[in-house]
Amino acid sequence: MTEVKLERIGKSYGAVEAVQEFDLTIEDGEFLVLLGPSGCGKSTTLRMIAGLESITTGDLTISGTRMNDVDPKDRGVAMVFQNYALYPHKTVFDNMAMALKLQKVPVEEIRDRVGRTAEMLGLTEYLERKPAALSGGQRQRVAIGRAIVRTPKVFLFDEPLSNLDAKLRVKMRMELQELHDSLGVTSIYVTHDQIEAMTLADRIVIMNGGVVAQVGSPREVYDSPADEFVAGFIGSPSMNFIDLRRGAGGGWSSTEGGLRFESLPFSLGDRSEIRLGIRPEHVVITPHAETGANGGSFEAEVRLAELLGADALLNLDIEGCRLTARVGGTGHSRAGDRVQATLPTPLLHAFDIPTGKALPRLVS
Amino acid sequence: MTRNRPRIGLYTLAIIASVISFLPIIWLILTSIKTTAGIYAWPPQYLPAPVTFQNYIDIFTKSPELLLYVLNSLIVGLGTTIVSLSLGGMAGYALSRLGMRRAGVLMVFILAVSMFPPVSLLPSLFQTFLNLGLLNTYTGLIIAHTGLFLPFSVWMLASYFATLPKEIEEAARMDGMGFFRIFWSIVIPLSWPGFVATGLIVFIHSWNEFPLALVLMTQNAMRTAPVGISLYPGEYAFPWETISTATVIAIVPILVITAIFQKQIVGGLTAGTGK
Ligand SMILES: Nc1ncnc2c1ncn2[C@@H]1O[C@H](COP(=O)(O)OP(=O)(O)O)[C@@H](O)[C@H]1O
Ligand SMILES: [Mg+2]
Repeated sequence: MTEVKLERIGKSYGAVEAVQEFDLTIEDGEFLVLLGPSGCGKSTTLRMIAGLESITTGDLTISGTRMNDVDPKDRGVAMVFQNYALYPHKTVFDNMAMALKLQKVPVEEIRDRVGRTAEMLGLTEYLERKPAALSGGQRQRVAIGRAIVRTPKVFLFDEPLSNLDAKLRVKMRMELQELHDSLGVTSIYVTHDQIEAMTLADRIVIMNGGVVAQVGSPREVYDSPADEFVAGFIGSPSMNFIDLRRGAGGGWSSTEGGLRFESLPFSLGDRSEIRLGIRPEHVVITPHAETGANGGSFEAEVRLAELLGADALLNLDIEGCRLTARVGGTGHSRAGDRVQATLPTPLLHAFDIPTGKALPRLVS
Repeated sequence: MTRNRPRIGLYTLAIIASVISFLPIIWLILTSIKTTAGIYAWPPQYLPAPVTFQNYIDIFTKSPELLLYVLNSLIVGLGTTIVSLSLGGMAGYALSRLGMRRAGVLMVFILAVSMFPPVSLLPSLFQTFLNLGLLNTYTGLIIAHTGLFLPFSVWMLASYFATLPKEIEEAARMDGMGFFRIFWSIVIPLSWPGFVATGLIVFIHSWNEFPLALVLMTQNAMRTAPVGISLYPGEYAFPWETISTATVIAIVPILVITAIFQKQIVGGLTAGTGK
């Protein structure tokens, strides 16, 4: 049982608080992804787990042992770096064998273990080459092999696919997934790419400015973002945000005009202002304006239509209120068309204005 | 076409710079193959007429101590280089990579120390070396030269190490290497262009260093090449033919080494532009 436990972990560089109050337990065999924009503290968190960065506050335990002051090599973790970090002057075999050699594993066993790992990763014929004679994908495979050979309790990945081109990235992502399925080793994976996060993760930790914004399954963070930051970060293109103000009669209308709702299914308290969110893919577009502005349906003018391929993005203007809708790529509306845009109530999100926290949905 | 224009300008500048820096050496070589009469001729003789190698024969027969001077310079130069690279490498690594507090302040301090004119240190250095029995010893001059060139070595090597991707050393740490092992089996092999460039510059400067070598090596048999050559006795005039010939012989080792390591020197000095 390998359980990685971070208890209120924090890291500061002088006055800069890179990570604050990181509190999480990673289950045995779990694939956990740390996701967030650049500079939000993902790498710092991972490097604290690896032992490459000291922990300023809090406790790190792996399988019940406190690891704060344990040397990186004794933590039972292996790390894969974004820029591969292979030893350029050593062969693929020596790169993969280094940790075992240093552990004084018998030569026979080293050869056997490196051989098997190389075979699993399709590297057998490259074992005698130097890293410079390999392609980017092969180098990253060597880096992964170097981690696997050690049979660590935890794999740490810091943006391992970011240096690869788009096509290879998709291929390696699938390989990583298969690898995790077959090895079942607890993995912590850092990325700023939400597609990697959504596809690989059992659970995603979304970080913002050194703080955990939300922890949840890919489904949860997509369906029920905990705050405005998560809502805007997950999903592409980003969620539409519209500020609403409570009118004299109790209904809600957008500050820039256009949207009007008789009621909203959120516990709004006595707020007079909220921010409404709707994902572009959830806006329903129908060709003709039939009902006018009620029940979440509005007449809109298409200002811009961008074909992405399978899909198209429509930039809509609802009496001054702008929002983006994602529709099918064939036979979509054109710029200048008048359409009806429906914002289905169950797919709306509401956020508190000063704090950005999601407002709970009323159970009906 | 337009892209070639600045190139032509650059090449012209490079050629002018090379010619200017090579002129003294060319003049030296030409002088060494002139007759005494040719050297003192007025108007000056630009090309030697007649060409003679008598000066080279004379120097090995009449002043065989030149070979001794060259040997002394080699020993002191190599010793200084080895000690500077060892100490400079370790210090540079610690300063650039081991997360030392106030490393930047220390680096500036090291640089500041090297701004003392060495001549101002001479009286006290001489007295100290006299007391320690280090005058007229290789060890003594190697220590003095190391003191002179160590700051440069630390700076050069520290900046070279700073260009290596940090993750390689971190991967080595995770693989289970200690700091010394990382330095020895990862950092040094990856930094050898930096070591070659630094070592060569230190060697050349040690080879050419004059004031300390003059004062700390008082016996003729211990003199280094520049000192020994400049002290060639002349009765009524400077023995220009002997001096120029000896100097040509003394710069040959440096030219040879520079030619061999030319690529590494350039690579080491422009570190960080590649991978
Ligand atoms: N060695 C360091 N010294 C000072 N600040 C640092 C250092 N390393 C990281 N930081 C800061 O900590 C924050 C988090 O960095 P990092 O964990 O690398 O972000 P991420 O990996 O999410 O892009 C950033 O603001 C960064 O500037
Ligand atoms: Mg990072």
